[in-house]
Amino acid sequence: MTDLAIATEKLTRRFGALTAVDNIDLRVTAGQFFGFLGPNGAGKSTTIKMLTGLLAPSSGRMQLLGLDFSTQSMEVKRQIGVVPEGMGLFERLTGAEYLNFVGRMYGLNHSTTQQRTRELLEFMQLADRPKSMIADYSHGMKKKLALAAAVIHAPRILFLDEPFEGVDALAAGALKALLARMTARGVTIFITSHVLEIVERLCSHVGIIHQGRLVAQGSIEELRAGITGEEGSKTTLEQIFLSIVRHSGAERAQIEELSWLT
Amino acid sequence: MADLAQQVGIPRQILLIAGLRWRMLHNYLRRKQNRLDLIGLLIVGLVAGAFVIGVCFALFRGAYDFVSSGKVTWLSLLFWGIFLWWQLLPIMVAGFGASFDFREVRRFPLSFAGFYIIGLAYGLADFTGVAAVCWIIAVAFGVAAASAALLPVLLLMAVLFIAFNVALERLVGSWMERLLAGRRTRELFFAGFILVMVLLQFLGPLLNRYENSAEPWLMRALPYLSYFPASLVGKGIGAVAAGNSSAFAVAAAGIAGYAALFGLLLWMRFAAQYRGEELSETPMPAKIARNAEGAATGVDGLSLLSPRVAAVIRKEARYLLRNGFAAMLLLLPPGLVFTLISQSSLVHFMGTKGISPELFFPGLVAYIVLILMTPAYNSFAYESAGVQTYFTAPLRFRDVFLGKNFVQVCLIAIELALCIAAFCYRVGAPPAPIFLATLAAVVFTVVGQLSIANWSSLSFPRKLEFGKIHGQRQSRMAVLIAFAAQILLFAISSLVLGLGRWTGDRWLPAKAFMLLAAAAMGGYFASLDALTSYAEKKKEKLIEALCR
Repeated sequence: MTDLAIATEKLTRRFGALTAVDNIDLRVTAGQFFGFLGPNGAGKSTTIKMLTGLLAPSSGRMQLLGLDFSTQSMEVKRQIGVVPEGMGLFERLTGAEYLNFVGRMYGLNHSTTQQRTRELLEFMQLADRPKSMIADYSHGMKKKLALAAAVIHAPRILFLDEPFEGVDALAAGALKALLARMTARGVTIFITSHVLEIVERLCSHVGIIHQGRLVAQGSIEELRAGITGEEGSKTTLEQIFLSIVRHSGAERAQIEELSWLT
Repeated sequence: MADLAQQVGIPRQILLIAGLRWRMLHNYLRRKQNRLDLIGLLIVGLVAGAFVIGVCFALFRGAYDFVSSGKVTWLSLLFWGIFLWWQLLPIMVAGFGASFDFREVRRFPLSFAGFYIIGLAYGLADFTGVAAVCWIIAVAFGVAAASAALLPVLLLMAVLFIAFNVALERLVGSWMERLLAGRRTRELFFAGFILVMVLLQFLGPLLNRYENSAEPWLMRALPYLSYFPASLVGKGIGAVAAGNSSAFAVAAAGIAGYAALFGLLLWMRFAAQYRGEELSETPMPAKIARNAEGAATGVDGLSLLSPRVAAVIRKEARYLLRNGFAAMLLLLPPGLVFTLISQSSLVHFMGTKGISPELFFPGLVAYIVLILMTPAYNSFAYESAGVQTYFTAPLRFRDVFLGKNFVQVCLIAIELALCIAAFCYRVGAPPAPIFLATLAAVVFTVVGQLSIANWSSLSFPRKLEFGKIHGQRQSRMAVLIAFAAQILLFAISSLVLGLGRWTGDRWLPAKAFMLLAAAAMGGYFASLDALTSYAEKKKEKLIEALCR
């Protein structure tokens, strides 16, 4: 499994009687831009939380960069960057203070942290408000800062939970370019997003989780071929996604609903 | 559209919100991990209930005695007590505030009048308000038992008094929240607070010097208190008892005027909230900006520490400086100590009562430690979603605790040093055995508590909001654990001090406390690794509680 950036075996997480993630076997090769898709409540965020150490699995194994998370969590954490659900910011610090804090928490020395903080703030167009606390940032600014914090230690795997939600088009373009450059340099990026157009444009591979189960995994071309039976078709990722999810039992009976609204 | 939403009446809306609050509490307690909080809730409720009932009896007796002995106007004293309780406690003990922000209801089709009345109703539903109303009822019973004829008058005055207090309490709370939401005003507020604390030091000497001229001045000022609502209640009832209906009318009109004035001011305040007031931080002051620039030069003032511990220390220090309410709570103990020891009567009192510095000094130090250690029992309260960083970053949780505890210990050390210096200057230094024993006892109690407090912070986390006063509630279990730990450690300390007295060996307590301090230090460092593993087990609970 050493050429794999992320590999899970029967990864499961239960909350009481509810199985949020059910025996998933993920395979993400190093350098891949991997999109992790699923309807609301499918288990995407739970999976990311487990892969980043925020949640303990109920059973199963996880290996990141060939390291077993359960026994080498420190080494794994050194090599991953995370934008968690809710972004995980200390909102009463300024952007620069927060990046300095995170850089030092990842063990960077003082001058490197300072240097990277300045560069990241410039890149993310956050440098013009040095006195503002994060609490006063807009949602998009917070997203950019969370992303800056996730990359300050130059991670080898980047986990992004809905990274483009609330980010303006200009910044989103710059972020996409940055992420593409990172993957070109061998960084593995694992993102969740509900905006399937973005995933289709950025990701080479996707996994689709539904009701806690990994129902599809592979390159977009492979999934497309699996749906249409032919390679090179023009089926969009949205059509692939809907087809797979509906096939897995998500389609509701077409009854006349909410008649009082129409 | 088939139909439209119907206008819901205000009583129905109050009931709906009451139902919502009950449902929120019920669902909160349904969770297994929150059930322990129910025990804390019950114990705190029992203690608070016993306190309220006890005061009810005292007020009943007081009201009965005043009226039956013909000193009806003395009822003002009781109403002054109730007034001070109602207005000061919500500021001093924010933990009893309502956990539901009623401003949330603005998104529903609610008229401003409805919003205002709901705001007032929930001001009355706070612990302080409920207790105060119970006490007013107790006073009414006392008056009725002594003279039933005065009851209707008292009820009228009581209703006006309640209306005035609710309006004032909501107004002060709302303004405090607005003021403390802005960083610059928050810092100005605390600068003013510190200034007042410093000026208080001069109060004692000034009164001593100008005692003769100050006393008549104070006596001249005292009658003006009779124009305040609490005095007006007593005056009004007294006027009826004396058959002076015009004086009663003036007093009643006075309270009604106060209630109307503060009701109007509150109306204006709520109107701003209803329109959609946004409370947010103002730009960072120049001092902090300069610090940020200084940091950019590449100088690390905490380079002797591990980078992670240093990062946590910096973050904790910044959070402390920016969290006005927490900073105020930190300033209160030394402020009170300075005020106490600056009183000229203290030295005289100690002399006449035979209280030696040997007894007073450890007591004063214990008080400082008691107050300052309490926040450590819920030390992640202000981390919010940022707590996730501690679990995604490659660090052992012991570094987080080391950073947090370092800041806590530094604060205690600084405040103790200031208080001890002031004490030694004003009262005199205690004998060396007592001085050393007290310092060693401080190390023992502080370090001993840190291990327990760290465990409590992981086990019973509760999110608190910056710059907010209302709606902030500590974890009841954390409060109980703090209480139990402090009782235990102070009991051990008292035992050791008592042992020293009993054996007649003046150095015994110092030696014993040094041993205990060493044991506590050993226990503390040994506990860090265990707490690191424990944090891993508790991370889901911690993240869930703080990311809400």
